Amino acid sequence: MLRFAVTCIAACLIAGCAAGAEVAEAPEPALALTGRVVDAADILSDAFERDLTADLAQLEEDTLVQLVVATTPGLEGRTIEGYALELGNAWGLGDAQRNDGLLILVAPNERLVRIEVGLGLEEAIRDEEAKIIIDSSIIPHFRKGGFEAGIAASVEALAREVSHLPMEQAA
Amino acid sequence: MTLKTLFRGAFAAMAALSLAACGINSVPAAEENAKAKWADVEAQFQRRANLIPNLVEVAQGAAENERGILTEVTEARARATSINVSAEDLNDPAKLEEFAAAQGQLGQGLGRLLASFEAYPQIQSNQNFIALQSQLEGTENRIAVAIRDYNEAVRQYNTTIRTFPDTIGANIIHGAEPLVPYSAVTEGAEVAPSIDMTSN
Repeated sequence: MLRFAVTCIAACLIAGCAAGAEVAEAPEPALALTGRVVDAADILSDAFERDLTADLAQLEEDTLVQLVVATTPGLEGRTIEGYALELGNAWGLGDAQRNDGLLILVAPNERLVRIEVGLGLEEAIRDEEAKIIIDSSIIPHFRKGGFEAGIAASVEALAREVSHLPMEQAA
Repeated sequence: MTLKTLFRGAFAAMAALSLAACGINSVPAAEENAKAKWADVEAQFQRRANLIPNLVEVAQGAAENERGILTEVTEARARATSINVSAEDLNDPAKLEEFAAAQGQLGQGLGRLLASFEAYPQIQSNQNFIALQSQLEGTENRIAVAIRDYNEAVRQYNTTIRTFPDTIGANIIHGAEPLVPYSAVTEGAEVAPSIDMTSN
């Protein structure tokens, strides 16, 4: 009888552990990852999106770096830093080991833009370099309403910063 | 082999399984995770501290009038870098509070220093300063992320050691104590206020 009781407790523990082991699901990202260009704010033309998608695919082929361009209709009261980081993590941009995801996030209604850099690319794209790209490649175009020109210029600039990567990463 | 020994074997296997699933592994795993996240927090604060000598150098010569704030920031940096919280001390609220207070003071000093620089066009146009400014901004952001991740890891660990059945292993085998989350002494004090660079 005693043995039965002990077995019973063990069975309960196993049941309890199985329930405790359930991992809470990560919250849904604010935007769905629908491709290399996620134009949720609808500020880009279809032709531009098509060309940009091809350029970004080429960039990944050349450097292994996964760059996604996203626009959002609103940050819902959050900081663009937090919003961009959550998107990058939830979407799992870049290789999990190399951590080489890149995200350009444009929030046209808040007039904010951010380049989110994966940990593995922090040496290739330093804070001051990202700032220079925003200040000199993006802002001048955006001020004149040229979202497409600004995005194209920044993608080109970022591609230059990571152009040396495939040789190092192949090692 | 009799039916009895077979039964005993099965029971032993089951007991081992239930024990293994009940905090023997999950408690130390959650603890290691929190400790690793704390190491990130310290590394990011250190990264900020490392930028300060360069910032002081930019100011020297260009902003002699701000000597008072410069000295204050240099001293706050020395205090902040002298306080370390080792992974073993993460259950000591007093140690964490002391660390947070020192970092908060440094953050506020930094904020005042950057604000005082606004009066110096010579500094504002200095390429080194512009680069430093973006590095500081990026580092403040990394600090905020590291703190958030650490606090989340602490929350998970504390939940693990208090929730049945992991709490059995946590109390009997590990003697686990709850860890202390990081809280800024004054709201937002760990992050130097960013200044608007477009105003000049």
